[in-house]
Amino acid sequence: MIEVKDLRKHFSSGILKKHSTKAVDGISFQIRRGETLGLVGESGCGKTTIGRLLLRLLEPTSGKVIFDGIDLQQLKKAELRRLRPRMQMIFQDPDASLNPRMKIADSIAEPLKLWRKMGKSEQKERVAELLETVGLNPEHLNRYPYQLSGGQNQRVVLARVLALNPDFIVADEPTSSLDVSVQAQMLNLMQELKKEFNLTVLFISHDLEVVRHISDRIAVMYRGKIVEIGDTTDILGYERHPYTNELISPASIEEDALLPGDMRTANPSGCVFYPRCPFAAEICSKKEPGMVEVEKGHWVLCER
Amino acid sequence: MSILRITNLKTWFPTRDGIVKAVNAVDLEMKETERFGLIGETGSGKTILGMTIMRLLQPDTRVEGEIVYKGHDLLKLSEEEMRKIRGKEIAMILQNPTTSLNPVLKVGNQIAEAIRLHQGLDKRAAKEKVVEMLEAVKIPSPEKRVNEYPHEFSGGMRERVMIAMALACNPTLIIADEPTTGLDVTIKMQIVRLMKEVTKQRSMLFITHDLDAAAEICDNIAVMYAGELVEYAKTEAIFKNPMHPYTQGFLNSLPNRGLKPIRGMSPSLIGIPNGCRFYPRCDCAEENCKINHPEMVELGNGHLVRCLLHDRS
Repeated sequence: MIEVKDLRKHFSSGILKKHSTKAVDGISFQIRRGETLGLVGESGCGKTTIGRLLLRLLEPTSGKVIFDGIDLQQLKKAELRRLRPRMQMIFQDPDASLNPRMKIADSIAEPLKLWRKMGKSEQKERVAELLETVGLNPEHLNRYPYQLSGGQNQRVVLARVLALNPDFIVADEPTSSLDVSVQAQMLNLMQELKKEFNLTVLFISHDLEVVRHISDRIAVMYRGKIVEIGDTTDILGYERHPYTNELISPASIEEDALLPGDMRTANPSGCVFYPRCPFAAEICSKKEPGMVEVEKGHWVLCER
Repeated sequence: MSILRITNLKTWFPTRDGIVKAVNAVDLEMKETERFGLIGETGSGKTILGMTIMRLLQPDTRVEGEIVYKGHDLLKLSEEEMRKIRGKEIAMILQNPTTSLNPVLKVGNQIAEAIRLHQGLDKRAAKEKVVEMLEAVKIPSPEKRVNEYPHEFSGGMRERVMIAMALACNPTLIIADEPTTGLDVTIKMQIVRLMKEVTKQRSMLFITHDLDAAAEICDNIAVMYAGELVEYAKTEAIFKNPMHPYTQGFLNSLPNRGLKPIRGMSPSLIGIPNGCRFYPRCDCAEENCKINHPEMVELGNGHLVRCLLHDRS
């Protein structure tokens, strides 16, 4: 469904554009149809940038994103726009993703107005149907976002995303601003809907526990690179990369190893994780590791 | 010895839509060097409780009850007297360092403010003290960092600055409001360890919705729901043997405990109905729960719970 090939995105900063941040640094992966790929990593590792690149909300520095056999980079603006209904994004902050001056009903109807030629009554019916799908009541239709809780607003966002029957959804930390009891409701709902509509999902989160519940496969990201990717059961249980291990059990980390390096001072050669790695050997500082397949479909970026 | 004793505390906000009863008849006692966890979800009133203790709420707030700190009722102190307590005796680590720090002041000057105010040190001495504080919270190269602005710090480092600020005047009691929220797991672990270290000789009221962090740090935990404490026990007992249906539901909704949600939503704090506040969402509710408001009952071993199912009287 989705194929990413050696994707890179570098941001330059400073007056002379001399500093360059490698937000996404040569990443390749695939997402199969109907699959949920969980993308985990700490803040600043580039996971949101990947989500945006996949939908071409950002232009990559190099590399390819192939969506259902179509190379997104080759598309002209109008062609890309025609493809948009098939791919949608759920953003981190539900309160900020809804127009505060639009009623819930209008927010959900907006994509329908743009893409589907339907009459007023038909449109109303569809909105009501969507609202029910995400577990809200008709009484919410005429309210404004500020009158709803964060969890309810996230449901509204989900209804809007589903309005056009998309094939692919990028969910960027959809539950990180929600309370745990509401987060559980939301995650369960997303799983039901994914099955019902056979959605392909890229689920971005910093919370490994959340990702475990919702993903078929998991990719772990560190400083712009995927350091480990594989089936959920392989990653959580048979993890191979020291960074994944650190994410799974942060209590096991030595105090000294906890002082993180600055994102900007990336080491010029060698492994990205080398300065923090408890198992680092001399070779790690010199040679950049390549992806190794340790089991079928379970890849690790580590020399050892 | 108890350092803080709160009795029948009520914090109500008059609004156009009615009175918001954010904190309702809360009783709580903290012992010296105790780390007390206050957990609850958004809107449960836990932050307001912290702010009420510090008396940081706007003047039209209605506050009733007693907050006795070292024998003095904080609610009866004059503003002048209260100012001597704030920062020096009781310090608060505010939620969200990004918005709590002043973006246009150097970090060093922000920490120095309290030191100079309470300890009367001159500029140079205050700066030395600030460097010392930054060192204490393990910020690398503190001499250089004092002259930087908040935006030059990462999220975890900003949280350390907040902690340094709270510690600056060596307070007896620290109120920490969600210090680990919004941090990555590895950074969170660092902050939790740091907080544990710096509160060895102090008392701390640790306000959070992060159960893992609370489990790691606190001796005792109180669970707050809709403005009330619904359960109080030793940390271990809360996790191993939660008695209140809300606490049970809260634990079960965690991703590593099965991700079973509590149905419905937290109630509005305006026009709270009679009966148990958790009743509409509770799976064990009986007819009785709708009518009678439960009182805190002790189940032995200092384990308190506010639920009619456990109230045999």
